[in-house]
Amino acid sequence: MADDRERRHTRWLGIAGLSATRLWKRTVRTRSGRLVATIFAVALTIALLLLVTGIALGLAEGGIATQDDADVRITPEDERTLSAVDGVEEPNLGATNERAETISFQDGVEHASPVLAEPVRLETADGESETVLLVGIVPDDEPRTVAGLSTAALEPGDPHYADGSYDGPREGEVVLSRTAAERLDATADDDLTLSSARTDGESPTVSVAAVDEPAGGDAETPVALVHLSELQSTSGAADGELADRILVWGDSESATAAATDAYPDAGIESTGDTNPSSLFDDGLAFATSVLALIVGMAICASFVATTMGMTVNEDRATLAILAAVGFPTHTRLGIVAFSTALTTICGALLGIALGVVGIHVVNAVAGATVASGAVAAMHPLFVPYAIGVALVSGLIAVPYPLAVAARTTILAEVER
Amino acid sequence: MTILNRAVRKTVSSASEAPGERASTTVRLTDVTHEYGTGGGFRSRRERTVTALRDVSIEVDPGEIVGLEGPSGSGKSTILHAVTGLLVPTAGTVELHGTDLTTLSDRERTRIRRRHVGIVFQRFHLLSSLSARANVALPLVQAGVPKSARRERATALLEEVGLGDRITHLPSELSGGEQQRVAIARALATDPDVIVADEPTGELDTATGETVLDLLTDLGRDRAILVASHDDTTLSVADRLITLRDGTVVSDGG
Repeated sequence: MADDRERRHTRWLGIAGLSATRLWKRTVRTRSGRLVATIFAVALTIALLLLVTGIALGLAEGGIATQDDADVRITPEDERTLSAVDGVEEPNLGATNERAETISFQDGVEHASPVLAEPVRLETADGESETVLLVGIVPDDEPRTVAGLSTAALEPGDPHYADGSYDGPREGEVVLSRTAAERLDATADDDLTLSSARTDGESPTVSVAAVDEPAGGDAETPVALVHLSELQSTSGAADGELADRILVWGDSESATAAATDAYPDAGIESTGDTNPSSLFDDGLAFATSVLALIVGMAICASFVATTMGMTVNEDRATLAILAAVGFPTHTRLGIVAFSTALTTICGALLGIALGVVGIHVVNAVAGATVASGAVAAMHPLFVPYAIGVALVSGLIAVPYPLAVAARTTILAEVER
Repeated sequence: MTILNRAVRKTVSSASEAPGERASTTVRLTDVTHEYGTGGGFRSRRERTVTALRDVSIEVDPGEIVGLEGPSGSGKSTILHAVTGLLVPTAGTVELHGTDLTTLSDRERTRIRRRHVGIVFQRFHLLSSLSARANVALPLVQAGVPKSARRERATALLEEVGLGDRITHLPSELSGGEQQRVAIARALATDPDVIVADEPTGELDTATGETVLDLLTDLGRDRAILVASHDDTTLSVADRLITLRDGTVVSDGG
């Protein structure tokens, strides 16, 4: 009994080895075009699936206000109990200007800036006014992306803050998004007046430093960048140096450590940590990735079924020889199924490599043209996901090559 | 070689079908008739049939070389296919070591073929993507022989047929004569009791054909060998000649 089991085990090991050897030799030494075509068809489908899923994941990662190129974000924990009326006021971080400066001085941290977003009414000299989402930040020498806009046009630093006295000179600069500029009919060097319900009779004026195309996210929302302390003064957030979040640029580990020291109870999110579950939170991204999965699987299964069916059809003589030397039908079908699965897995592995390259290329092209950061995200879970999709496609496809193999007439083939 | 043969025989034989001592008659065909049916098409009411064999009775003993001669369509290949179990005749019995193949399932016939029959085809029928050694070891894979033993057996057989220096070559890298020698080695891999050879020299020149025949008869000694051919030189190695015409035996022992 144990002998029989051992022999069966050895037999199936041998059959798996035989199938793998045949596949390898046919691809490398006899250069079977059909096999190479199958592997490439699967690879391209899987690569496309990963690319679309990567873009969907990138899309799910945030809207225009959270569109930035920071390495670490510090946000207040969502403590709903702080507010008596739900949804009236989001929690803020306090003492942000001072602590962001402290974080900036840590080793491995390039820059840290609080970010405050407030809807503010901007008025042109012609009397036209429009509510714009004003985003206050502390720029530095390096151009950064915050709320999808580049900080390059703003003077580095935030002199109005003046160590918390908020009486330093105002820079009076604003970077408008294309939508905000169009709605206000404003261009570079135009003066705009800020008006807010919280302004105590004072209406500071800002000059348009640049008009920028928002990178990714929602291009329809009118947004603008100003120096943080000037917005805090205008919106009343100067008391307590409030901000919605703090962005940190630099080495991810050092930035996370510095952020944890400064705000031990706050939520700290490293942007390197792409979270695939965010796909489920975004309807469009989820629908896109599901559609990519269905289409990818259908195309992959069709390609595998057709090309493997044709390969088996060409290979009938081999199946007949195997029958002649004593391979029963179930073993011959096992060889066909194993070869199909192996071809599909080879295609999936190549597809993963192509998909990763594709995501890098898309990000590079997007970065050089329309976006300032990555538009497609990558996650290690993509590897088992791609192999799983390819295997399921192979399973869907395998009945066709098996049917072709089962139809082989042994005598007709060996007499040929 | 003898030790290897014994090892392989031990692995590939089961208790129920162990040939043990080779029986006095290895192959026995009794009143075998076979008709190939050809569908008469949609409108035809009758199915047209071609009678390939008509009441054929043949016996082959161990160590005997039997030649099958006759014109094309006389039934030579049909007899070989019946002996290998690749074909089940319409009527009559085909016994291999006393086991009637016509009563067995397809799976059982395949098992008997693997254990007791080696086949040499006219066109070699080697797997193009496998090396000479892997081709020879092919029947041992299904027999469940471990890889190292398969390799050892295949290498020894290739050395016996004079291809010790070609074991890793693909069939496309071998000449016709060399390919047929690989096919003979493959036919001997499971140490079978019967070897059937259908036009084994049909694709070879005279000198190469003679070498292949020498090998076949030398390595196939003590086994029952059936050789079907049109070629007199090939048939000259036979101990007994059976002449066929229109599916019937016209002479046996000529």
